[in-house]
Amino acid sequence: MTETARDETEVRREVEIEASPEEVFEALVTEEGRDRWLGEPDRLIQIETADPPRRLVWWWAGEEQPATRVDFQLVEMPGGTRVVVTESVPSFPLAMLAASFELVAA
Amino acid sequence: MSDRLGSVFGALADPTRRSMVEALLRDGSTSVPALSADLPISRQAVAKHLAALEDAGLLERLPGRGREVHYTLRGEALEPAAAWLRDAERSWDRRLAGLKRAVEADARRS
Repeated sequence: MTETARDETEVRREVEIEASPEEVFEALVTEEGRDRWLGEPDRLIQIETADPPRRLVWWWAGEEQPATRVDFQLVEMPGGTRVVVTESVPSFPLAMLAASFELVAA
Repeated sequence: MSDRLGSVFGALADPTRRSMVEALLRDGSTSVPALSADLPISRQAVAKHLAALEDAGLLERLPGRGREVHYTLRGEALEPAAAWLRDAERSWDRRLAGLKRAVEADARRS
C-alpha cells in the first residue's frame, strides 16, 4: 500500500485524436465544447492556465469530491493530436484521509 | 463525533504528526530514531506523537527489526486514497474516449 501511494499522487492518462490541437483545445476550454463530452455539470470548473492550443489547466470540485487540478497537454503529431491529462490532489493523500473521515479538506 | 473519528481528527490536526504521516507515505516505514533525525524535536516528543497516531489507528508496528520498533501506516488508512486513484483513472479513460468521439465527429464534418 505505502509503496504505491508514494508514487501515485496523481493520475495520468492519454489519448490520440484525429483532429488539430486547435480543435481539441476548443472542446476543452469552452463550456459549449465540454458539454459535448464531459457531462458532469455538477462540477465547478475554474480555469487556471489557458495557453492555446498547447496547454490548459483547470481546478474543479464536486460533491463528495476533493478539489483537484487537471492539466491537459496537447502535442501535435502526424494526423492529429496527443492529449495527455494529469489530475492531481493537493496535499494528497492527507486530503483524502481527512475526507474519508468526513472532515473538510483544505 | 464518535471516539474513533475524534481521535483521528486529533491525530491529524497537529502539524508535526501530519509531517510524520507524510514521511511514512514517502519512506514506507519509520522509527523513533529515524524521525528524531529528521525533525527538530526530542525523541520523547517523537515517541509521544507516534503513540497518538497509533492510538488513532493510523499506525501499526512492523514485526522483528531488531531492538527498534518500526512503524508503518495501516493499509486501511490509505484505502480511501487508493480508491480515489482507481476511480480517477477509470473516469479519465471514459472522458477521453468521449472527447475523442466528439472532436473527431466535428473534424470530419468540417
